[in-house]
Amino acid sequence: MKKDPIDATGTNGSRSFNRDIAEIPLANSDHTIPKNNNALRNNSNQSNLSTLSGKSSNNPFRIKLELQQPTPFTPDNLAEEQEEPDSDFEIDEDELFSDDDDIFINNLDQSFNDLNISTSLNDNKIINEGGVPNLKYDCLTTNELYDRMLLRVEKIKPILDISKDDIILLMQRYNWNEEKLLESWADQREHIIEDVGLSSNNDGTNKFKNNNPFRDNSLQSRENYLCPICYEEKDCTTFKLECNHEFCTDCYQRYIKNKLSDGNIITCMSCSLALKNNDIDIIMGNNDSSNILMNSSIKSFIQKNNKAFKWCPYTDCQCIIHFKDTLYLSEFKRLHCSPFVTCKNSHKFCFSCGFESHSPADCDITNAWVKKTRNESDYLNWVLSNTKECPKCNVNIEKNGGCNHMKCSSCKYEFCWICDGPWAPHGTSYYECTQYKNEKDKDKDSNSSNDDKKLKKFTFYYRIFNEHEMSAKLDWKLGQTVSQNVYQLQEKLGLSWIEGQFLTDSLKVLNEGRTALKWSFAVAYYSDQSHNLTKIFMDNQALLSHAVESLSEMLTEKNPKILMEKKNEFFNKTGYVENRKHALLECGRDLLCKGICKPK
Amino acid sequence: MASLPKRIIKETERLISDPVPGITAQPHEDNLRYFSVTIEGPKDSAYENGVFELELFLPDDYPMEAPKVRFLTKIYHPNIDRLGRICLDVLKNNWSPALQIRTVLLSIQALLASPNPNDPLANDVAEDWIKNEKGAIAKAKEWTKLYASKK
Repeated sequence: MKKDPIDATGTNGSRSFNRDIAEIPLANSDHTIPKNNNALRNNSNQSNLSTLSGKSSNNPFRIKLELQQPTPFTPDNLAEEQEEPDSDFEIDEDELFSDDDDIFINNLDQSFNDLNISTSLNDNKIINEGGVPNLKYDCLTTNELYDRMLLRVEKIKPILDISKDDIILLMQRYNWNEEKLLESWADQREHIIEDVGLSSNNDGTNKFKNNNPFRDNSLQSRENYLCPICYEEKDCTTFKLECNHEFCTDCYQRYIKNKLSDGNIITCMSCSLALKNNDIDIIMGNNDSSNILMNSSIKSFIQKNNKAFKWCPYTDCQCIIHFKDTLYLSEFKRLHCSPFVTCKNSHKFCFSCGFESHSPADCDITNAWVKKTRNESDYLNWVLSNTKECPKCNVNIEKNGGCNHMKCSSCKYEFCWICDGPWAPHGTSYYECTQYKNEKDKDKDSNSSNDDKKLKKFTFYYRIFNEHEMSAKLDWKLGQTVSQNVYQLQEKLGLSWIEGQFLTDSLKVLNEGRTALKWSFAVAYYSDQSHNLTKIFMDNQALLSHAVESLSEMLTEKNPKILMEKKNEFFNKTGYVENRKHALLECGRDLLCKGICKPK
Repeated sequence: MASLPKRIIKETERLISDPVPGITAQPHEDNLRYFSVTIEGPKDSAYENGVFELELFLPDDYPMEAPKVRFLTKIYHPNIDRLGRICLDVLKNNWSPALQIRTVLLSIQALLASPNPNDPLANDVAEDWIKNEKGAIAKAKEWTKLYASKK
């Protein structure tokens, strides 16, 4: 991942913390599980939704329903947007690329819908995960986007009545915004033709004609030609445009090669006459070069329209997400949820801030949290998140497996990686080691300063956040084991591929649960600790945490037979994690919407 | 080092045999791509009577890539910063392989004759230039006297 939210390593003060945490009671059997949690635990997904919606006055699903008729896209609004001052006919870079891109992009979609080209990924779910309003977006590659552009070129070809290569040049100049192009074309055609380099006025005559039949640019063989660029006198092939500036192809090739990655129009080396795609391919002797140029041009188009287009932030992923309703994005901020998109390679990220899926935290909380964590020192971060002393024999332990159920290899003491307490109570009863014990802390550190407490509170949450991040990374390793297991199931037990898929599904749910859990600690940190809803949120965290840990542990099983026997258990556990995650996300968004959680 | 391209040899020969008035460019013996350049301040400009030293380097990709030029003499000019770097279109986007060392140096001389404070590199100088042109020119003259006088 390019944008790792934290630089994965630790803070000072870790030692003193372990002690504090160790004193947190582990299992609290008296603890009342919130009512809606009970409901969630036993009911199907559908009824969960109704239970929740019936309960909360500020419920996200109701808000969702209002969103079904998105106001920003009424025809009136569009008309307003389109009213543009068009008195200034100067071709100005800023003017060209700044404003009504949204409209232009909407039109782009329109034109492709007409042509029945749709690569839309999203299904018809009304509500995405975490109560997020449904998103409309495409996942494309640069080539696919270029193909779309070519369709647009074909569409405007009859209007302009010039060759396809000429239009591509114009589109390049106008950053693939055909509306701007057509507008300028109508107003100041001659000027544009010269500006783009379709004609040169060097000799005082405008040579450009529609579908110019005289344009005959091909390579020529010359003997003893002195190229004005390299000053080499040699037998060689040369190339020239209508401007008659002739150069050897060696020089031209070097020249073009340097310019391909810019994506700008390439001109004659001596004047502003443009080389068309065809010319470029003639000089380079292949068809790839103009493709590379077009690819670069499309890339710069994406950079310039970064409101609607975003690169997938994951390393080496070439996907582009094209978001159709950019005006819609502001709604997300208002509702404290984030526009998570998933590219073709299943990378899920937030379209607004570019981070990984960070719910229940919204972008503001994420930002505040990430900034805060970046201030911490890298080295100590590493020590904090990677090693711990065994609570019994003080041997230093580095965690190298995903589950938080630890067994010291020297004294065989079994303990919980998070709270340092014995593991036994965790497995059977209420799992409570994710809560920051505010009151305990008060008793203990009554003398210490307020700042100190704040720092301790932060370090506590940060440590848990980090631990879940580390666990997620180890889960990823676990994922490789799981795919081996799936393979083994097929090999040894002769099962079909589909029968082994439950493991892959479980892993996916585990990862999602882990991510949600991780970011929930950012929310918890910024929440008002005394508020009742925060307490409910923390209970939800504890429940999800418990569910995630046990699923993670189940996945470490290597014996294929046992795995198959446990298939039902996997289904149940996975569904449970899913439900718990959903409840946590809803609760988190409630905290945000009610202003109980806000970045300080 | 690979042998020097014919283009560079020809250009160097011509710079020496047919020098541009007010401009000298001498390649270093140990590196023929590295030139010591002097440019005389243009007449009727704030830099009149000054002789400015510059260094010029032809990168490996020359002439596909623009030469790198930098002022060595301190100069008070809105398009030249404290390190002597020059903001000039032909050295950046508008470079074309059809241009030469001599055309670049002539462009730099022209930049001395007509500073462009609206497209600045040295922001403080440009601000001074816009707000108080007379004062700025006086300062440029003073600097020319201080740092660029003929030895």
